[in-house]
Amino acid sequence: MLVELTVNGEWKSADCPPETTLLKFLREHLMLTGAKLGCDVGDCGTCTVIVDGESYNSCLMLAARAAGRDVTTIEGLADSQGVHPIQEAFEELGSLQCGFCGPGMIMSAKNLLDKNPTASRHEIKDALSGNLCRCTGYTKIIEAIEGAGRIMSSDKYSQSNTF
Amino acid sequence: MRPFEYIAPSSAEEALALLAENGETARLLAGGTDLVVDLKHNAGNTNLLIDVSGIPQFRGIEETSKGVRLGSMTTFSEIMASSIFQEKMPAVIDGAHTVGAVQTRNLGTIGGNFVTCVPSADSAPSIMVLDATVKLTGLAGSREMPVADFFVGPRKTALKPGELLESIFIPKASLGKPSAFLKHGLRKGQALALVNGAAALWLDKDGKILEPRLALGAVAPVPLRAVKTEVFLAGKSATDDVINEAAELAVSESRPIDDFRASANYRRQIIKVFTQRVLKESIRIARES
Repeated sequence: MLVELTVNGEWKSADCPPETTLLKFLREHLMLTGAKLGCDVGDCGTCTVIVDGESYNSCLMLAARAAGRDVTTIEGLADSQGVHPIQEAFEELGSLQCGFCGPGMIMSAKNLLDKNPTASRHEIKDALSGNLCRCTGYTKIIEAIEGAGRIMSSDKYSQSNTF
Repeated sequence: MRPFEYIAPSSAEEALALLAENGETARLLAGGTDLVVDLKHNAGNTNLLIDVSGIPQFRGIEETSKGVRLGSMTTFSEIMASSIFQEKMPAVIDGAHTVGAVQTRNLGTIGGNFVTCVPSADSAPSIMVLDATVKLTGLAGSREMPVADFFVGPRKTALKPGELLESIFIPKASLGKPSAFLKHGLRKGQALALVNGAAALWLDKDGKILEPRLALGAVAPVPLRAVKTEVFLAGKSATDDVINEAAELAVSESRPIDDFRASANYRRQIIKVFTQRVLKESIRIARES
């Protein structure tokens, strides 16, 4: 079946079997390998992408369900001006070790901070409960999201927000 | 994943016709958080997915003069964001909040959770204590039944071949009823409940318990209405002794199993403590309102 959708601001289309998940569609048909295949059952969250402003496990969503919709993946966060404040904060704090959970962590963080940039530590933990990290113990991930939230809630950021 | 065809019909009639035409080789797709996982691991004989998640008749939350109609394809995130639930049924939101994580709550639907019908379904107890009913629809027409009757056994519902779960209805008399939900898992996030439970009750002007309801999950083959405990509580004063006796009764009504998550004995302890807590919390809310 032909699936047409917007990915990171660009209109894309590809032919795929109906049983193709959105994750497989992104990785194997559009060659966007940022979202990772982890558990493949919706537990680990490393496949997290944002569709029409809400985060989803792309391993559980059929590509057909995303047809005509607006998908943002980790590849859509940086632009010619630089990386997203969340990416910058993760880098500065060394929030990741192996990095496999990173794309999902950052997309979950973006989903939270876009709606609530002043999220409390409790709200951040709640928002990350569907993203597993086996290296870090989460502390620096949470600190990075708090820091990114401070930047994203500042007046300067909201005026120059191009993301 | 097993190859299958995918159709997203735009109406209930179309979905039911497809279901009738294709028999057991067709499955209805709601959020897919259970079904897609199943299709990855169990080949089965599924050849067609009928995506009913976008059908307007199965979606949305609507309050009428008789109560609240909750479309079966409403996601847990939509329930949590609903002002009707926030104001009149906050314990249902507490239940929805313990389902999976953000990404799964954005996909998963209450109807899907009901139809999967596992004993630990986190959406069930807080809805059951509100005397909710389900509406099942097939080509021959619709029928309604209490939610408790819909759950027949582990992964077995009252749905007949060719029928689907259209909506859930919460009667007006239950809106604003003091209620509480609790879940005990091995982790805070993404845990299957070892025990979950909800209570709802009114207090009269003398502090006596009226219309008590208690539902417990993961303690029996299906989410359980603790009817004997409810009968015991009705008309009693809301004292610690009464609550403790009710908790013992709730334990005796339950049939928890030993499994790798917890022993039956441990679950019995949790049932006792949780029954006390959900009753106490409902009583506290009732006194404050």
